[in-house]
Amino acid sequence: MKGFWWKIAGVLLFLYVLIGGMIIPIKSGITSVTPNNAKSGEQLTFNVVGYNTNFLSATKVRAWLKLDSIHAISATEIEKISENDAKFAFSIPSNFPTKEAVQPLTLIVDTDIDGVFVQPNAIFVTLSDSAVISSEAWMSSAIGQFSEVKGIKFPYRNILNETIRNTFFHIALWFAMFILLIAGVYHAVRFLNTGDMVHDIKSAAFNKIGIMYGVFGLITGSIWAKFTWDTFWTSDVKLNMTAIAMLIYLAYLVLRGSSSDHDRRAKLSASYSIFAFVALIPLVFIIPRMTDSLHPGNGGNPALGGDDLDNTLRLFFYPSIIALALLGTWMSQLLIRYEKLKEKILLKNQ
Amino acid sequence: MNIIKIKDIFIKELSIEFRQKFALGGIFLFATTVVFIVYKSFNNINPREWTILIWIIMLFAGLNAIVKSFLQEKKETYLYYYTLFDPIDLIVAKLLYNFMFLCVLFLIILGVMFVFTGFPVKDYGLFFTGSGLGIFGISIVFTFVSVISSADSGSSTMMSILALPLVLPIVLLLLKITTVSVRLLVDTTIMDDVKMLIGVDFVLLGAMLLLFPGLWRS
Repeated sequence: MKGFWWKIAGVLLFLYVLIGGMIIPIKSGITSVTPNNAKSGEQLTFNVVGYNTNFLSATKVRAWLKLDSIHAISATEIEKISENDAKFAFSIPSNFPTKEAVQPLTLIVDTDIDGVFVQPNAIFVTLSDSAVISSEAWMSSAIGQFSEVKGIKFPYRNILNETIRNTFFHIALWFAMFILLIAGVYHAVRFLNTGDMVHDIKSAAFNKIGIMYGVFGLITGSIWAKFTWDTFWTSDVKLNMTAIAMLIYLAYLVLRGSSSDHDRRAKLSASYSIFAFVALIPLVFIIPRMTDSLHPGNGGNPALGGDDLDNTLRLFFYPSIIALALLGTWMSQLLIRYEKLKEKILLKNQ
Repeated sequence: MNIIKIKDIFIKELSIEFRQKFALGGIFLFATTVVFIVYKSFNNINPREWTILIWIIMLFAGLNAIVKSFLQEKKETYLYYYTLFDPIDLIVAKLLYNFMFLCVLFLIILGVMFVFTGFPVKDYGLFFTGSGLGIFGISIVFTFVSVISSADSGSSTMMSILALPLVLPIVLLLLKITTVSVRLLVDTTIMDDVKMLIGVDFVLLGAMLLLFPGLWRS
């Protein structure tokens, strides 16, 4: 047990992430509301298409249109068509509490099976000229007493849908890659200080597995982009800078493969890997943050904060980083042992 | 660091350069020919293409020019230098020499481009500060990589494999600064990019000064 408990921990954690991350359902949400515009003082029926909803099985379905934190109206009639389709009728008051030409309304739905879910800016209401500022019709229906749902569910995001699970793999792969590359640089520095070949072997192994993780990170990111942005690659800063970073590290592999003299190769590749890591920091951390980008974490887009990473996601995201880092260390360890054995055979044959 | 020694190495490099006139002439001929080919194939170059072409030509002409900075001398010569100079002096002198060389090369490319395709730059201050900083960064990377590739196999292929990915971030920043100075793009935060370039230069310079003495000993 002693000495390999962390390998078992890594495998178990990764299995937990894989199974949990794939099996746990996504919360209910609303994919579309038609029509999405209306006039004040109108009687309107909206077709609502839900995602992962149970309109038919639910005994109690309630819906509101919310203007702001105190102003809302409730649905006059609710017709269930199927589990994922329903018709909500609203009578939109002719008077609004604020006087702006177009008012966005948020649709809130609450059922006893799925709990509460929200579609922001679901309907845009155009005010008629005769509208008077009055909040009378908006105060009667209080939103509240939401049904509680049991069990863990991942949050529903409109464009992400099921791909939100990729958080556990794509983002965690980058984190684990950085842990491995830092280990690689640490051993490169140790090698330059001590001249001990063991550190050279270790540095190379960590860097190689780090590069492999980087390639996996690019692939998973690319697939994710296909589903959310509808393209495998965009001319986005973060994507391009990462591609450059990978090119720099691929050049490292070329450098390692080019020389047959072990001592010289060790010295050169250690120096180059430190230089490359130093060049990597502005590339991945600073430049992308200065420019606008589609990718989360840039240009004001939230990344690992706010609503995007809620507690249910955290439950799998952090273990995933630890698991991938442990598995990466294990793979590096295998590479290190292989390289050491190769050295040993080389020495024996001489 | 010893200023007098740095000056000595600098002058030595300069005199070697002028003694081998064919190498010097070859690089400038290369630059002129490339500009001419580009001019003949595009015929009419708009500012957008101009900003991209000038840096691509600069990059490859510079790569050709700096390859020899550590490759031209024999192993024995280095052993001799090793007994004479502090490694920091040597690398600083080489770096300053390469920087000056690239600046001259850049001015010559600019001149040839000016004759054939015009000079669309509107904001001179931004263009020349940005270019100067960028060329400084490029010369740091090229000098360091030329040390590595001369110690490795002595081939110039290794140099381009290692150097091109490393200068990409600098070139991207340079392209943006040049685009702004040509007024194709209005960006009020362009000084951030200039500061970024300064930061990248200093980080690379620091890494090089730290790592070179170790490499030099071999």
